[in-house]
This record gives sequence, structure tokens and C-alpha cells, in this order.
Amino acid sequence: MSDTIETPVISAPPLRGKRILVAKPGLDGHDIGAKVIALALRDAGAEVIYTGLRKSPGFIARVAVDEDVDAVGLSILSGSHKELVADAIAALADQGASNIPVFVGGTIPEEDVAMLLALGVTAVFTADMKLDDVVAAVAERLAERLAERQA
Amino acid sequence: MNAALRPAALDRRALGRALSRAADAGLADILSAPPREERHVARRIGVTGPPGAGKSTLIAALARFRLSRASRVAIVAIDPTSPKTRGSILGDRIRMDGLVDDPRVFIRSLASRGATDGLADNLPEILSVFDDYGFDEIILETVGVGQSEFAVRELVDVELLVLTPGAGDQIQAMKAGILETADIYVVNKADQPEARRVEAELKATLTLTAGAGPVPPVVLVRADAGENIAALDAAIEAATMRIAGDPESQRRRRARQRIKGIFWRRLAQTIEDLPQAAFDQSLPELYATVLTDLKKAATGRGRTIT
Repeated sequence: MSDTIETPVISAPPLRGKRILVAKPGLDGHDIGAKVIALALRDAGAEVIYTGLRKSPGFIARVAVDEDVDAVGLSILSGSHKELVADAIAALADQGASNIPVFVGGTIPEEDVAMLLALGVTAVFTADMKLDDVVAAVAERLAERLAERQA
Repeated sequence: MNAALRPAALDRRALGRALSRAADAGLADILSAPPREERHVARRIGVTGPPGAGKSTLIAALARFRLSRASRVAIVAIDPTSPKTRGSILGDRIRMDGLVDDPRVFIRSLASRGATDGLADNLPEILSVFDDYGFDEIILETVGVGQSEFAVRELVDVELLVLTPGAGDQIQAMKAGILETADIYVVNKADQPEARRVEAELKATLTLTAGAGPVPPVVLVRADAGENIAALDAAIEAATMRIAGDPESQRRRRARQRIKGIFWRRLAQTIEDLPQAAFDQSLPELYATVLTDLKKAATGRGRTIT
């Protein structure tokens, strides 16, 4: 056993079997970012549900519950992330789904990140992040949660 | 599950999770589940048709109409899974946005996963969860390509095939195929000039195919404007009336589809799991190997997501 043979490991897509809701709350009409993220998550193996533009936090929570998603991603470019995120998290709790992790992406100023995390957001992704890093971070957080639940 | 039978208020979180469990269940989980007792059964309406025919929009209009007599309607929409990454974009429900605020409606998106017939893994198990939660009706939207028209046939009580103007060539191509399976033919986008011609062609073809039997109805609708949905609703009522008189064959059809689904999935997995060397065997040897592995698999635990 002195030599170990390097076998190529073809790893399974990191998000295989995960169901993820990509949602656009609020009034901004730009969903290129949300669509790009949705496709990247799909390519990582996830089953992605996209809500389309301008959805209320209550609507988003309803879809998250009915679809029993493993995570909700909120894409927000309007600047009103504080209100929208707080409302979405409250709506999820209202509908018995406070255990669904929420990710936020978009134009989020550095100084607001801590505030969003304090509201209960699992991770915040800013527009300058690489797509691969975002996907990897989502996969990592979901794996952590799974491990916690099984522990 | 009996406690969930016709609950006063629908526990959407519990239903959502029960659907996930049904979708992720392995073979052993399904086979070891206690037998279901005779109970409430939701009527199932299948909607097939080529991509772009307007299936999702039609389903939204139909669900809205049928809520006048049903107290709880489920919509199950299937989108394809990429065979490469196993990921998918589930986008049908965007066209059903107007229904989300209605507490009587439950929309669930499914990825086809391993199923190659235009349906989804464990679909019979998933659909029967809605029975447990007291739904009156399930409207099922297929992927709309391949063999879904045939596969869905045994799983639903009524099958709708949706076509659009400009589908004249499709009809020619389908004469011997799906025009024999649906109960009701819908020509959507009735406002387009070709719609009447497609309707006429369809009727002519169906009359030929039907021979001495009854000719299935052709209904011209405009789903986006909700036009003529009442006529489609009436056609569905008439078709389900026939089925209601024969619950035994309905039960048998569902059982057949259920066992087929389980075996297709198991068989595909068994062949997938064979070591490369297995394919050096002769065909009869290989056949025997697959049979042996299938028997072994029946006693082992199923994997949740493969």
C-alpha cells in the first residue's frame, strides 16, 4: 500500500436533490441577477423554482411552504432590503416555516450585512461575488444544516 | 394519516413536507408502507400537449372555474430534469400566480428526476398524498414531450390534450399516436386565425380514428382570456361521469401504473449500478444478472435520491 493510485473523483453536483426558491420581492424590475443565480443553482444540481418579479413577502413564503424548499434566495436591488427581508422572514415564521434558511443577494451595502444576518439571514451575497463562490457557499450552508439536524 | 383526513384547515406546511417525503421515498419505503384503506379519492385531470401550447395558463383558468364546485384543488406541474446535472428550473407556476393567494389551491412543482416518460419519479405516491389531505381534484401538467401522453393515461381519470393553431402538422404526425389516448381535445389560442381550421382537422381525424366508437369532444378555448372554459368544464364533467360508474377499473388502472413506476425506476437503477464487466457477458447471461440483482434489491433499502 505504498503507492496510492489517484482515481479521478467525479463528484456529484453539490446541490443535487435540493429544492431552492429564487424570489424577487419588492418593486425593482431587474431580474437578470436572479435568473443567472437560478441557472447556476440548476447547474449545480438543484431543483429551482423562480417566482418572477415583484412578489410580496407573503406570496414568497406561501410558495416556499407549498413547494417545501430547502432554501429561499431573495434577490433585492431596490435598496429596501431591510424591510423586505424582515417581512419575508416574518411571513415564513407565520406559515410555520421559520426553519427554512434565507439567503439574500443583490446590491447590499457592506454596512447592512450584519443587520441582515441579525434578522436571521443565513448568508448575504453581494454583486461582486463570483457565481461559483455563491453556489459553493449555499451548498456548504445547507450541508451544515443537514449535519446539525442529524447530530 | 387518518387525522389529516378532511381537516378543517389545511396544514400547508405538513402537506408540503409529506409531498417531499413521497417524492424522495426509496423503493423499500414504498413497499413497507402500510396499505391504504379505502378513503377519499381526488379526481385526477391530466393535461398534456407540446411545449408552448399554453398548458399552464389553461390549468390556471380551469382551476379557477372548477373551484366553484370543488373545495380544494391541487395542481401538480412537472418540468424536466437535466440528465447531466440532475438540476432543473421549475417554471410552470409563474403562469398560475393569480391562484397563489387562494387558500383552496395548492400548487406543487416537480422535477421529472429519473423518469423518462414525461412524468416524475414516485408520481403515483405523490398524487395519493393529496387524497389523504382531502383534495377534491388534482390537475396534473406533464412535461409535454415524449411519451407523457401515454404514461399519464393510467394515472388520471380524464386526459386533456392541448394543441394550438399552427398544429396542423402535429395532427398529421400524431394520427396514429396520441390522438387515440386523450378523452378531450383542446385547441387553445382560439383568437388566432388558424384555430378553426385546426379544430376541423382534428375533428375529421378523430372521427376516422374512432371508427364505430364515440368521437371525443374538441373544445376551442382562449385560456389567457378565460374564454369558453365553461364548455371545457362541461366536457370534463361528462367524461368523469363515465369513470364514476366504474370505480373498479379506475382502481386497477392506478395500481398498474404504480407498480410500473416502481419497476421502471428500480430496473433503470439496477442496470445503472452494474459493474462495467457485467456488460462483457452474453445477452442471456446479462439478462439473468439483472433479474438476480432486481430480486436482491427488493429486499434491500431503497436510496432516497439516486
